[in-house]
Parts: sequence; structure tokens; C-alpha cells
Amino acid sequence: MVRLTMYKYFQVGKTSLKQEIAYPINFVMWRVRNIIQILLVLFLWDSLISDPRKVLFGYSRDMILTYIFGIMLVRAFVLSSKSMDVAGEVARGELSNYLIRPVNYFFYWLSRDFASKVLNLSFVFVEFSLLFLILRPDFFFQTNIFYIGFFIFSVFIGILIYTLFLFITSSVTFWMPEMGWGAHFLLNVVLVEFLSGVLFPLDILPQAIQKVINFLPLPYLVYFPLQIYLGKQSTYELVRGFVVEIFWLGALALFLNFIWKKGLKVYESQGR
Amino acid sequence: MKLKEFLKKANLGGKAKLVWYYFVIWLKMGKNAFMVYLNQKKILAIFLIGKIIRFVLFLTFLYFLVSGAGDLAGYTSDEVIFFFLSFNLVDVVSQFLFREVYRFRTMVVSGDLDLVLVKPLNPLFRILFGGADIIDFITIPPLVAATFYYGARLNPGFLEVVFYLALLVNSLLISAAFYIAVISAAIVTYEVDHTVMIFRDLSRLGTVPVDIYKDPLRFVITYIIPIGIMLSFPAKAFLGVLGIKLILVSFLFGAFSLFFSLRFWEYAIKKYTSASS
Repeated sequence: MVRLTMYKYFQVGKTSLKQEIAYPINFVMWRVRNIIQILLVLFLWDSLISDPRKVLFGYSRDMILTYIFGIMLVRAFVLSSKSMDVAGEVARGELSNYLIRPVNYFFYWLSRDFASKVLNLSFVFVEFSLLFLILRPDFFFQTNIFYIGFFIFSVFIGILIYTLFLFITSSVTFWMPEMGWGAHFLLNVVLVEFLSGVLFPLDILPQAIQKVINFLPLPYLVYFPLQIYLGKQSTYELVRGFVVEIFWLGALALFLNFIWKKGLKVYESQGR
Repeated sequence: MKLKEFLKKANLGGKAKLVWYYFVIWLKMGKNAFMVYLNQKKILAIFLIGKIIRFVLFLTFLYFLVSGAGDLAGYTSDEVIFFFLSFNLVDVVSQFLFREVYRFRTMVVSGDLDLVLVKPLNPLFRILFGGADIIDFITIPPLVAATFYYGARLNPGFLEVVFYLALLVNSLLISAAFYIAVISAAIVTYEVDHTVMIFRDLSRLGTVPVDIYKDPLRFVITYIIPIGIMLSFPAKAFLGVLGIKLILVSFLFGAFSLFFSLRFWEYAIKKYTSASS
């Protein structure tokens, strides 16, 4: 039974992957945009810490350039997601097509997300290598296997948190169908850009702000995994970080379950 | 007041009458676009809040960063903030004016462009200026005030201010040239969205002085895709660090880019087949 279920979602992922490959220009353009976005951050920090001996906000040149190259990688894993389309499906009444099928809608999108991440990741490796060869940045290679293991684990939880976050945001459309893109813009574009660590490492902010931000779910998408990779977390910070991260995973899952059930009660399949 | 009454009252002749005619039409199109947004107040509010949060957070980030580092490529934090504000000014005004371009692809693939072509109006004017953006419009006055405030702190000379204002206008011309090139390419290739978004991403490189980038990227974004001329040069002229030769080169770039994009438009519009209508 479990095997059959796994096979079903594997097929969803496979079909989704084929669908993305069928429109290669869209995908390539999306990747080009990702490279351009990273260039601003990269050159900004490169200019600020041009001297290899200089330390700024607790970061040496190799640490900060590793952080920025790390953003490329973690972004492709965590923030490349197709679940944003859920808002449109609910608003247009297309959710009905899935409600009558023997599929779990959340796992359906999670499978599509994983397929998308595999594709993004394969491109990121090429981009990463090219930029690395062209720019030849100072780079910090983590050799501690525990840090690498914790890094991978935190990225995995980050993926789940982000997917839950997108689903919760999309749920707004049960009540306000026209608000889908607006809600995503505010929460998943603006706030994620500043509070996930995609633009800068959050520990450059004053301590008081950091304390508040660290209790939110967003820093666990990019900033926390990269801090683990760089070995900048003490054992206490590591444990506290994972406790908060897992707390948010559970809390968001429960909240989504609650809000989704409420949403389905008011869902009218408009447009169908 | 109706258009005919406007024209009667204005009692203008020749080209002035034509300019007035288009100005009134632009006001009408803008009013219609605003009405659409005002019918969706929640969406308007959410996008406005989002844009303001984004702007304030980035400004705060730049301030913390450059204050902590001492300078960025030789510029102080006040100067970097002025670069950022000037970038936003050009960006927001061009978004306000040319928002309709983002809807152009639908017009081409659905064949609705036919309805524009048969009207007694320059189609390029309708496509570029057909849907002014109220969200950007609301943000322009505070942005101008902030730019004025930070600009005054930098104690510029009279000539620097004149060059700055002239180069801002030049930046809007380059921006218009780009959008004309995009819509022309859209007729030939049916593609707008990605081209515009890539240009928007490239423009964001101009958030900070282009001096931070290394060659060949710096050369490319200054002279090939003139992000630097468009977004960094006005602030540089204001700070008095842009020579007169480069100021003249900027104006030449503005004139040439507009000239070539208009030629491209004339070529592209002849290729329009109205296939979907």
C-alpha cells in the first residue's frame, strides 16, 4: 500500500518534471533571473570586504562569499517551489478536480515541488561552477561531517516549512479569491526576501532585532542552514535553532490543517 | 469635461493642439486605470504596504551595511542612500508611466491589438501609456521628498542639480526606449514577460553605485545594457563625480536608444499579422 502510494506521487513528480522540460525557455529565463539576482548581493559584499584580512560584522571575506554562494544552492532547494500556484487553483475552482481524485492535495504539490527542486538543483550546479570559475572567490569548505549532516537536515525541514507557508498563504483565496498574488507578494516575496537571509546574513542586524527574528519561521529557510554550514553556531544555538525550527514545522502543519478544513467548508468551486 | 470641449477651450494650434489632445487622452486612460484599482481596495492596500515595507527594509539594510563598513566603493552612507533613492525615482516613475507594457502580450496573442490600431490614436502611445499605475503614483511624492531631503544634505552646486534633473529625464527616455524595444520584440516573438522581468532584475543592479561591479560586468551594465547610465549617472552627476564628457555620452545614449527603438517599432508593427483575431 505504502509502495503504491509512493509510486503514485513519484509519477506526479515525473510528469511535473516533463512538463517543466517541455517549456525550456521559461525555465532557462527563470534561472538567468536567479543569477542576475545573486550578482547584486555578491558584488555588494565583494566590494565591502575586498581585503581578505578584513572582518566585517563577524564575517571574513571567505565566509561571506561562501554564504552568498550558499544562498544559490539553498535557494534552489528551499525556495524553488511550484506550490504558489495553489492560490490560483483555489481561486479558479480547479481544486475540485483534485478533491474527487484519490490523492492528497498537499502531497501532490510536495511531489511537484521536489521534481522542480531536482531540476533547479541540476542547473544550479552548472551555474555555481561557472560563477566559481569566472569569479574565483575565496571559499570556505566545511570539513566537519556533523555540520554537513545538520546542514542537510535543516535544509530538508526548511523545504517543508516553506511549502506549508505557501499553502497557508494560498488558503487566503478560499475567502478572498482575488487576493492570491497580493498575499504571496507581501509574505513570500517581500518578507521572505528580507527575513530568510537571502539578501544578507541576519546576524549583521542589531542583537535586539535578531532575537525577535530568530523566533520567526523565516530565518530557518536559508540563514540557519548556512550558519550551520559555516560552523558559526554554538551547540546551544544549534539545539535552540532546531527546537524552534521543528516547533514551527509542527505549528504550521497544525495551522494549515485547521485553516484548510475551514476553507473547504466555504469553498464554492467558483468558475466551475 | 468632454475632450471636444477641452480642445475648444484650449484654442491651440498645430503641434500644441496635438500634445494637448494626447495629454487629455492620457488623463482619461489614467483615470480608467485608477478606477480599476480603486474597485479593489484590499489589493491596492496590500501591494502598497508590500512596496513600502520592501523600500524601508532595503533602505535600513543599506544604512546598516554602509555605516558599519564605513563606505561603499568610496561613497558614504548618505551618498549610497541618495543613489538608492535616485534609482527608485527612475524606477517608480517609469513603472507608473509604462505599466501597460506588462499587459501587451495578451493584446498581441488575443488579437486585441486590432482594436488599438483602428482608433484615431498613435498605437505606440496607447500601448505605452494606456494604464498608469496608481500604486506607483502614490509612492512618487514621498520618494521625491526623501530624495530632496537627502540631496540637500549633500550640498550640491547649482550646475550639479541641473545635470541631475536633465539626466533623470534622460533616464526616463532610455527606459521608454527599452519598453518600446520590448513591445516591438513581443510582436515578432510573442514574448514579453521574461524580457521585462530580466530587465527589471538587471535594473536592480543599479540599486547601488555601479562602481561596485567589476569589469566586464560593469562595462556591460553601463554601456551595453545602459543600467549604469540610466540609474547611476544622475546621482554621480549630482555628487560632481561625473565628467562633462560622460554627461554628453549619456544624452547621446538616450537619443540613440530612443531613435533605434522607434525604428524597431516601425519594423515590428509591419510584421503584425493579427493572427488570433
